[in-house]
This record gives sequence, structure tokens and C-alpha cells, in this order.
Amino acid sequence: MMKSNKIQRPQMVLVVDDQEINRDALGVILEDDYEVIYAENGQEALEQMRAHSSELSIVLLDLMMPVMSGFEVMEHVRADEQLRHIPIIVLTAEKSAELQALKMGAADFITKPFDAHEVILARVGRIIELSEGRQLISTAEHDKLTMLYSRNFFFEYANRLFRYHPEMHMDAIVLNIEQFHNINALNGREFGDDVLRIIGKEIRAFLHETEGIASRFEADEFDIYCVKQPDYRALLNRFQEKVNGISPNVNVHLRMGVKPWREEVEPILLFDRARAACNMVRGNYQNPLMIYDEDVRTRELLNQQLLNDLRTAVEERQLVVFYQPKYNVQADPPRLSSAEALIRWKHPELGMISPGSFVPLFEGNGQISIVDHYVWEEAAKQIARWKEKYNYTLPVSVNLSRADVFDPTLEDRLVRLIQDNGLEYRNLKLEVTESAYTDNAKRVLDVIRRLREIGFEIEMDDFGSGYSSLNMLSDMPIDVLKMDMKFVRNIEENETDLRLVKLIVDIAKYLKLDVVAEGVETEGQLALLQNTGCDLVQGYYFSRPLPPDEFEKLIQREIDLERG
Amino acid sequence: MTLQELYSLIDGDYEQALRVLRMDKLLDKHIRKLTSNGVADKLLEAGQGMDPTQLFEAAHAMKGVCANLGLVRLSAAASEIAEEYRPGKPRRMTDAEVKEKLNSIADLYAKTAAGIRQYTEG
Repeated sequence: MMKSNKIQRPQMVLVVDDQEINRDALGVILEDDYEVIYAENGQEALEQMRAHSSELSIVLLDLMMPVMSGFEVMEHVRADEQLRHIPIIVLTAEKSAELQALKMGAADFITKPFDAHEVILARVGRIIELSEGRQLISTAEHDKLTMLYSRNFFFEYANRLFRYHPEMHMDAIVLNIEQFHNINALNGREFGDDVLRIIGKEIRAFLHETEGIASRFEADEFDIYCVKQPDYRALLNRFQEKVNGISPNVNVHLRMGVKPWREEVEPILLFDRARAACNMVRGNYQNPLMIYDEDVRTRELLNQQLLNDLRTAVEERQLVVFYQPKYNVQADPPRLSSAEALIRWKHPELGMISPGSFVPLFEGNGQISIVDHYVWEEAAKQIARWKEKYNYTLPVSVNLSRADVFDPTLEDRLVRLIQDNGLEYRNLKLEVTESAYTDNAKRVLDVIRRLREIGFEIEMDDFGSGYSSLNMLSDMPIDVLKMDMKFVRNIEENETDLRLVKLIVDIAKYLKLDVVAEGVETEGQLALLQNTGCDLVQGYYFSRPLPPDEFEKLIQREIDLERG
Repeated sequence: MTLQELYSLIDGDYEQALRVLRMDKLLDKHIRKLTSNGVADKLLEAGQGMDPTQLFEAAHAMKGVCANLGLVRLSAAASEIAEEYRPGKPRRMTDAEVKEKLNSIADLYAKTAAGIRQYTEG
């Protein structure tokens, strides 16, 4: 354990007196316990205070001095933000000066002559202690960056409001910044701090207009406890407009969860629910506001049930892997090239659950690796089964989540999987979403690079949905680019989207990468993609995701095609 | 001559001075300085011009220094002058009475200074 004196700040005392004998007299009293510095007049005192403002614990100040009096020093100190926190003990023999000095902020008096050493030491010690205590409380009470309350003080004050002013009917609001870690990673910590400061400032401005208190609850999360507002969307827009003005080059999106007041529901519970509501609109840029109501409660309970049931689902094999084919569309006719493994959950009570209902949930709480490991094993076994049954190797892509990348056993696990099933590394393709590269990019790239060196093929999933720069793309150890399906959706109607698709295909070709277009549903889309030079196509036009036994028909057809 | 003998000679309060300065070394330093630091001279000079501000400041300084040194009578006499000229307070003495006080301070100081010179010269 660290000794407490190591974390105490050094205690420095400034003695200001024009008489050397007074400076010496105080010096001999104080020098055993403090680092003592001296000034001979008020002007020198201010210079010393400014030079040592962060180290000075106290100033012992004579009042009657040439050049600048002690009273003038106190006036300057009172007006100076940097010096105001330093306590001052006035040195005087004049009773009459005490009241004026007190009014100007003196903390205490020491009377001349300085013949009561123990009393002087005790007074200096007590004032330093009081002042440091006050500063500690002030530091702990407020978040330095936003000047809002820190979490513990906020909840203490919220509880007091709840208990002593039940008539106020206060709502809980949670405000969060989307992808804040990416904003920090891409624009630097200082930019991130600016965002937090600006939001803090606007919340403080808002609280000047209404009754309430606020806290920076976590890095990018703000809690506001205030009387009911007429329009929460307008409030969110107010905060959003402030962050929109920070930089024309960076999009910062806020989301908000609100739990309206309910009789006898304590602030802590109110905020739990506001937070749950806020989490439910994570990534929902179209509708980033959620007011907690019964529907939200139902969803929250469902999420909790899914989280609780995951391990059982794995043990009882309720999770099933479907396969969606990818076709080489530059061949005529298009040929089956590979497949993507996609998870489904056959829940015994809830029926079939789509991945959209549980994948983001597990990604959010770190359990996605359990699902990923399950899919990898199933996919590897399936490739092996098809290889044995048809003497046909169909490469299958599986997802590699961000959480997997940070798992130290990842490489061993994947290598063992390949070896145990008698596969080649390139049979199991690894899809990593574009957004996984943005935060801690170096670590992610190192892991991906090692996997690629082993022999795995890497596909960048959802390209265009995230933040990759072209510059970054050229350094990435990838083999295939999977265009985000939003580009394909409208290429028949929207010339700009089509041009973007062409551009992405050109870039991929330039970097010698294959391109996969996802979400292809119509013949028109297929034709346009073929014209752009896109290699591979995945989507309902060819097939929905299929269970393995149904997928075998596609394999059989492919084998028939090969045989001519 | 020891410090204690000096204090006995100049009728000072050695114990009081030691309570303030804690050690003979400091007491020795400041008692020697009394004849050269100009504190008394400033007061006596201010008495020539009878300027109230100068008189107050010089008397205030002398009162403090002498109190620290245990020179109780000098300190008390300087204090009377300081109070007489304290800004915002009505005067109580006539100029003649002030001059008389200053003369007695000068006498007292002269005796004290003579004693200190004896002490410093060994």
C-alpha cells in the first residue's frame, strides 16, 4: 500500500512581512513542518503566489507593508481565479484590522509578537487542513471537465431531492454519445474532451432555465434529474445542435433515454430505466430518443431472458447455423463460390429468433464470443461433412467480432479447429466488420495480420458503413471487401449509389482485392453489379440463408454443373 | 558579555525575546541589527517633520521589532506614537507632547544602542 504521506501534496507556506525579524521569527516556528518561502512586500507576495500557486498551502500575510499593503494583496487574490483557493492568515497586532481582513477573505489571524509557537503551528495546520478538505470535497463533488456533479454526489443530491421535495416530480434523463471511443480514436482525446465540455456547458445552461441537477455519470454518459420537460425531442435536438457546431468534419451523434417520474420510484431505479432506454436506441441514428414505457420494459425483460438463456442455448444446441451462398457472377452462368455462416436461435419458448434481436445485445455485453465460437465450430464441421459427402470443399465465412480479436487464445482456437476437422486454412474465411478496425487499430491489425500469415483469408465486412479511410485501407491485411448492403439497395434507382459501387469496385481492384456485394435481390441489381466488375454476389436473388440440408441442393447443382 | 547580561543592562525581557525567536543565534542576529536597520532612526527622523503618515508607519514598525526583541519599554513607547497617528483615529496628544515622547524614545534608544554596542564590541 502507498504510504499516505506520498500522496499528500507538499505543504508550502509563504511568509510575507517587511520586517526581517518577523520573517525569521515565523521561519523558525514553521521550518520544521513546512517548506517556507518569503516575501518582503505585497507585490513580491503576489509574484511568489503566482509562481507557486499549485504548491502553496497557505500565506501568512502582514498588513502594514511598503510598496503594497496586505489589504491590497487580498484584493488581488480575491479577483484572481488562480490564487483564490490559497488560504491567507493575517499577521497583525491590531484588533481593528481583523474585521476588514475577515471581510476580504482572511481565514484567520496570528497576533504579534509571535510568542505562542504552539498556537501559531496549530492555527496554520488547522487552516491548511480545512482548506485542503474543502478542495478535496470540491474536486470530488464535480467532474473537472464538465463542471457537472460527479456520480456519487449526484445520486446523494438526487436522493435528497426525492426525499425532501416529493412534490417536484422529477424525471431521469440519460444522454449518451454514439461511438465515443471511435470519436476519440479518430480525432484525438482533446477533441473528445471538447465534445464533453460543450455538452456539459449546454446541460448547465439548460439547468439555469429549469429545476434540476446533472452529472457526468461515465466517460460519455450524462445523467440529468429535472422537473418534467414539455418536449424531450426538442431537448435532445438542443444538445445535438450544440455538438453539430463543433466541427464540420466530424459527426457526433447523441442519444437519449428518459424515464418519467413515478411515485415512490427512487432516483437510482429511475436512472437504471432511463439508461436501459438509452441503450435500446444505441446506433439508431434515425430515432435516438427513447422514453421508457411498458414496451421498453417488455424488451428489457426479453433481453435479460436472452442473456440468461445463452449458455443453455449453446448446451442444448438451440443455436443453429444457416448458410447463405455467394456466387461468382463474372462466370456464366454464375457459380457457387462460398457461403456465409449465419446464426439463428430456436428458442424453446420464444420460437425462432433472428440474429438482429440478440447479436447486438451480446456484442454489447461481451458474450458474443460464445456465439462466435459456436458458429466457427459448426461451420468447420459442416465444411468437413460436405467435403466427405460430396468430395467438394465449400469455403465458409464466419464472423470475427471485436471481442474475439482481443482474446489471447484466438489463434490457437482457430488453428485447432482447422486441424481437428482436416481442413485447409483458406476454407474458413474470417469476416471482420469495418468498425472493428477503428478503435485500437494497431492491435486489431496485428492480430488480423498474424491470422492471414497463418493462411486464413480475411474479409472486411460492411465496408462503407464505418470510418475507414482510403489511406488505412491500403495498409489493411485483407483479401476481400464486402460492400455494405446500403450501397446495393438503391443502385437501380439512384445514380449516385451506382457510381459509389463502381468506385468501391475500382478501388478494390486497384488493391487486388475481391469484392462481394451483399443484399442483392433483383436481376437488375445483379446485372449492374456484373457490369461494374463485382466478383461475388450474396443475397436473396440467389438464395436466402438455408439450413445445411437445404443448402446441399445448391452443392449438388454445382457439382452437376461441373460435370456438365 | 552574554545576551542575558546585555538584556539585564538594557532592561529588556530576555525570556520574551527568546519565546519569539526561539534561539540565541537569531536573537543575537536581530539585536545586533537594531542599531543598523534604521527602524529607530526613521521614527526619530519622522519626528523632525511631524508628518502623521510617516510617524505612524515608523512607530508601527518600531513597536513590532522591539516587541519581538523583548524591548518592552521601547515597544510600548513606539506603540503610543503609532496609536496617536493611527489613520482614522482622533489625535489625543498635542504636538509638544508627541515631541516629548519622541525625546524620551530617543533617550531610551540611545541607552539601548550603547548597551548593544558594548555587547557587539565584546
